Amino acid sequence: MDGAISIKGTREGLTITLGGGDTQKLYEDLSRHLKLQGAFFRGGVVALDVGKRSLDAQRLCSFRDLLAQHTMTLRTVVTADPTTLNVADEMGLRAIGAEVLDEPEPQPQPPAPAKPKPVAPPPLAPSPSMSRVESIARDDSRGLIVKRRVRAGQIVRHPGSVVVIGDVNVGAEIIAGGDVIVWGRLRGTVHAGYPDDSCAMVCALDLAPLQLRLGKHIARPEEAASERGTIYPEVGRVRDGAIIVERWSGIHWGN
Amino acid sequence: MTQTRVITVTSGKGGVGKTTTTANLGVALGKLGYRVVVIDTDIGLRNLDVLMGLQNRIIYDMVDLVEGRCRLQQALIRDRHIEELYLLPAAQSRDKSAVSPADMVRICDQLQGDCDFVLIDSPAGIELGFRNAIAAAQEFILVATPDPSSVQDVDRVLGILESQGRSQYSLIINRVRPDLVRRKLMASPAQMLDTLAIPLLGIVPEAEDVIISNGKGIPVAHDEHSLIGRAFSNTAQRLLGESVPFIPLLHGRKSLWSRLDPRRFLRSN
Repeated sequence: MDGAISIKGTREGLTITLGGGDTQKLYEDLSRHLKLQGAFFRGGVVALDVGKRSLDAQRLCSFRDLLAQHTMTLRTVVTADPTTLNVADEMGLRAIGAEVLDEPEPQPQPPAPAKPKPVAPPPLAPSPSMSRVESIARDDSRGLIVKRRVRAGQIVRHPGSVVVIGDVNVGAEIIAGGDVIVWGRLRGTVHAGYPDDSCAMVCALDLAPLQLRLGKHIARPEEAASERGTIYPEVGRVRDGAIIVERWSGIHWGN
Repeated sequence: MTQTRVITVTSGKGGVGKTTTTANLGVALGKLGYRVVVIDTDIGLRNLDVLMGLQNRIIYDMVDLVEGRCRLQQALIRDRHIEELYLLPAAQSRDKSAVSPADMVRICDQLQGDCDFVLIDSPAGIELGFRNAIAAAQEFILVATPDPSSVQDVDRVLGILESQGRSQYSLIINRVRPDLVRRKLMASPAQMLDTLAIPLLGIVPEAEDVIISNGKGIPVAHDEHSLIGRAFSNTAQRLLGESVPFIPLLHGRKSLWSRLDPRRFLRSN
């Protein structure tokens, strides 16, 4: 088959990775390939790794429809492009960001088995009954930087840590396997340490989420710093089995 | 041949004033001498014709057009007062599925060059009717009231537009009550802009004039002496790229809005 497309079987299903080159050509290659070997993949659940390319809804739909023609279901899109991440999310697909942080921070947890791409779809809601949860074990080797405002209805899911450069509006959701850092106002719902890592933390310049979840703990912060009149960065952590939100004191300015 | 600007007026939430805004912007632009077509995409729940007082002139509607029972020129209804303002009405029967996004693109392509503005009134929601309404537009006017749910819904719509790579949008803040804003019982335009982070096109205070004129079927923008009429005409001029200052509604104790009849205030100027 063509070198630009790779199809791999994993525990969760198939991962189709689009390599470099023209998207339309890759689409045609995939179409040809499935015509020849489609029967082999019948009924499969697919994670499509599109790399850094930016795909609009129409293009992503064309891939979904192509797979559907061969009775395969597109469930997950892995992408390093924020627009594509949004598009996939809007289409009701599981969207996984795949941007690499330059410097992964050290963590006390044993590192998760090294995977080239996080292909396992993270479940939508924390549910202990879902056995797949283990397969997205925390993977701090990969972080996701989101350089935009996250608006209502938009969900950022990522198995590692998430850094948002911008505000997280009411109605938006951040779900991260690791820590969540918001360089801006955090107003939406945030879940760090998803699904059950209570060592994770959430920091924001103005920490006022609707709901703050750390691992298995849930808190509803009553009062934002901005409502108290002065705005200062805060950090939320689990201490003695409860979520504590404190003023960020990593650096002292002398007060 | 002129370049036609196709602009969709949308909000996510219902009842915030999309249709009122569309009708009044249409009138305000028409009064400035621009050729305007307003399109009602709320198939099954058409309203724009009522606000413009044109409901008794409808012969063909958008579904007739889409299904080939009439030509575009036959479906367009000329406004009663403004020479170059036309309405393409929605159908009252049927539902949103009678029209597709491709149909909308086709209709707007046909209008391209024949008018200066196409203003598309979107239905509430983010389903098919909304997708029809945004399909052909390059620009978007988001209408929000200071209500938190309205702001959140506009935020949601912005997310959808952004994900489709559409980035030309601006905000009209509708039904502002300056008295409540001053007493901090209502979100201020500044707070709303803080959340939404998009350019501000207009601020329209809440006023009885709108209710009365909607009842009469004569958009309030016809009355240049009314505060609301002026707010809409200012908004239309900003849409044309002019820099028009916002009517001062919120200048603390100096504001005349809360003490005086706004009409008297404006006439005395």
